[in-house]
Amino acid sequence: MPFINEILKYDSLSIVGLEKNVGKTECLNYILNRLPLQHIKVAVTSIGIDGENKDQVTATKKPEIYLRQGIYFSTAESHYRERRLISELIEITNERSSLGRIVTAQVAIGGKAIISGPSSGLSLRRWVAGIKKMGIDLTIIDGAISRLSSASPAISKAMILSTGAALSSNIATLVQKTKFVAEMIALPRLDDASRDTLCDIESGVWGVDTEGNIVDFKITSALAINSVKSDITQGMKIIYTVGALTDRLLNIVADSKRIKEITLVVKDFTKIFVSETAYRIFCSRGGKIEVLQKSKLIAVCVNPTAPNGYVLDSDTLCRKLREAIKLPVYDIVKNNYDI
Amino acid sequence: MTFKSALDIDCGIRYMYDTLCIMSPCGRKMLLESKMMTTKDDIDNYYGRLRDVYDKDCSKIANKLMCIKDIHNTLCRLSDAIVLDDIELYEVKYLAIITSEVDVLLQQLQLTAIELPSLQAVVDILDPDHTHIPSFYIYDSYSPQLQEVRKQLRAIQIEGKDLSDEMRQEVAQLMQRNADLELQIRERLTLQLQPYASKLQQALDNLSLLDILIAKATQMHELQLTFPHITQDNYTLYNNMFNPAVKAHLAHQGRDFMPVSIGIEQEPVTIIGANMGGKSVVIKSLALNQLLAQYGFGVAADSCHINPVEEVALCIGDEQSITKGVSSFAGEIMAIDAVLSKVRSGKKILALIDEPARTTNPIEGTALVEGLLSVIEEVKGRWILTTHYNIKNDNVKRYKVKGLHDGIMDYTLVPTHSGDVPHEAIAIAENLGIDTQWIEYTKSKLNN
Repeated sequence: MPFINEILKYDSLSIVGLEKNVGKTECLNYILNRLPLQHIKVAVTSIGIDGENKDQVTATKKPEIYLRQGIYFSTAESHYRERRLISELIEITNERSSLGRIVTAQVAIGGKAIISGPSSGLSLRRWVAGIKKMGIDLTIIDGAISRLSSASPAISKAMILSTGAALSSNIATLVQKTKFVAEMIALPRLDDASRDTLCDIESGVWGVDTEGNIVDFKITSALAINSVKSDITQGMKIIYTVGALTDRLLNIVADSKRIKEITLVVKDFTKIFVSETAYRIFCSRGGKIEVLQKSKLIAVCVNPTAPNGYVLDSDTLCRKLREAIKLPVYDIVKNNYDI
Repeated sequence: MTFKSALDIDCGIRYMYDTLCIMSPCGRKMLLESKMMTTKDDIDNYYGRLRDVYDKDCSKIANKLMCIKDIHNTLCRLSDAIVLDDIELYEVKYLAIITSEVDVLLQQLQLTAIELPSLQAVVDILDPDHTHIPSFYIYDSYSPQLQEVRKQLRAIQIEGKDLSDEMRQEVAQLMQRNADLELQIRERLTLQLQPYASKLQQALDNLSLLDILIAKATQMHELQLTFPHITQDNYTLYNNMFNPAVKAHLAHQGRDFMPVSIGIEQEPVTIIGANMGGKSVVIKSLALNQLLAQYGFGVAADSCHINPVEEVALCIGDEQSITKGVSSFAGEIMAIDAVLSKVRSGKKILALIDEPARTTNPIEGTALVEGLLSVIEEVKGRWILTTHYNIKNDNVKRYKVKGLHDGIMDYTLVPTHSGDVPHEAIAIAENLGIDTQWIEYTKSKLNN
């Protein structure tokens, strides 16, 4: 499979499922089984799971991950005690989750374990920084759409999206929803002299006027945009929100007469919380969104089977998705890439 | 009193804690739980250790101490011979390795403030392959049977991922056998390690103490603190005393802190002076430095003589509590009363009272302060008060803030015999640029 080689070009990868039961774990297992561990050091963790071993929604057991000899992994100490492999404990980190301290170990003889790592974006970032010091070449994070921060380019440079019938049993809807996320990930990186200055700003909503001056709108976040009485688009070429980009801010720019001259900028795609409808209207009027840091979407993995038993046609799904997002799409289970 | 409760005393001690760079959680815990030292011997002994650390570059040791985990619970389990799991054995091994590494550094620096027990035997037990790295698992070399089981497991895994059902079953059995053998080994290791439990605890405690000492010594260099001279007589002397929290705050505004010198041969002492003359800062700095000395920190003065007490009581008149239904006056008087009854019961207290009875009318207020000073004459104890009232008592040693000179405040304290308080309130108000009409009316009232 070609995307393993693609992964090796990056030092950090996150795998994000757009819904539960879209085959994210199969995807992770698939990758872990194929990485050339004789050449590179790999560490894996997940953005913490919330304390229970069973998935409370579908009553299925939380998936275990097969870890080969040589892989480094970080998990909560209670899950470490339950591991079904032989491993050497390397470090007890200072990170904690609801299941105890996060420990890092290296697999001596392969087997299965539950991976539940740091539970916030910030602690995940510290984990990445800490583990890099051990000479790790590639960090892999098992992410979750509800905690998209794990896919932020500040934490992982490349990502794989996992989608499937669990998200929607209608191929058209499934393709549309997945395409929207892929589109957000593919937003272009801002190319402007003000980029470095904007990167250093820590909060609020800011503008860059046509002469290149940075303007503070004195708004704490896009959520407080209603408190602004004046037209913030006046004289601006860039409007930058450090935090979340909401429909409200998007609509303000969309309604402006100067929409075509303005670029709306966010830190990275994980900060975008706009509905597809609002985004489409914004684009149709000539609006554009750019990011300060860009992620690389390597591939999309699909699981055509929904938890309720509904099965989509794998080939059609893959083909339609591929056409829509112009990226490699794989059904790992169907093609029996043994897991 | 523990250091944790002393942090609530509003004299700038929290700033000292906040600027103290303790590396390990167990060092921090030990400091917070530490009791105030009250005898000269204890304090001198402690400063002897601190001085040893103060003169040396301990940055390498500090880096090591950063990695220490608080494994007190694990060590309790070990001393009860409860079988330790992999994570706990790792913790023990890690502590033993760090201890020997720090010990080597201590010897290089010829630092004798702390003695660490030798834990080589523990390292030997938990590092059978002599890798000298602090990672841990139940190594193959612990038992030939284990070695054999793992050899078979590895062989199956190498054969490939497509395992037949039989093979899968075999793997499951081998894993079970592996787990059983590991448990036996952990039991054996726990028994081997149990005799070292108290030495391990001692090492953890001494490393925590070393962490605290290094942090205090570093703070002394950073904030230009000194070692106090601990006395047994009732003579207190501060040469250029300052308050680091206030100093940092002023520095932030681009202003300098003016240090104050004071020598106290006998109590009680009253400090009089203009508003904004730094009387409250003197009171707070006296409390701060007394606490610093008795908790083994560097003190904030060029030099000082300090006489240890059993308790430092600081009353700065903010005892008002709306929820308790107590007015500021009642709160203050009750707080002073509590100190008084402790002194009566024979407790050695340094009582620092900022403007007692300030919130009531000046006639009764003056009488209350004079009355307090008369009681003090009978119950003795070490009392330092600031006041704006004209106090007539003659059993009192008085200090006065020099006050305004050409519109500039001179914070120097000078001994004075007169109880007459300076009349500088209006001049200071003018300096602050308040409403001119108000000032004019006030002046005309005074002249009438």
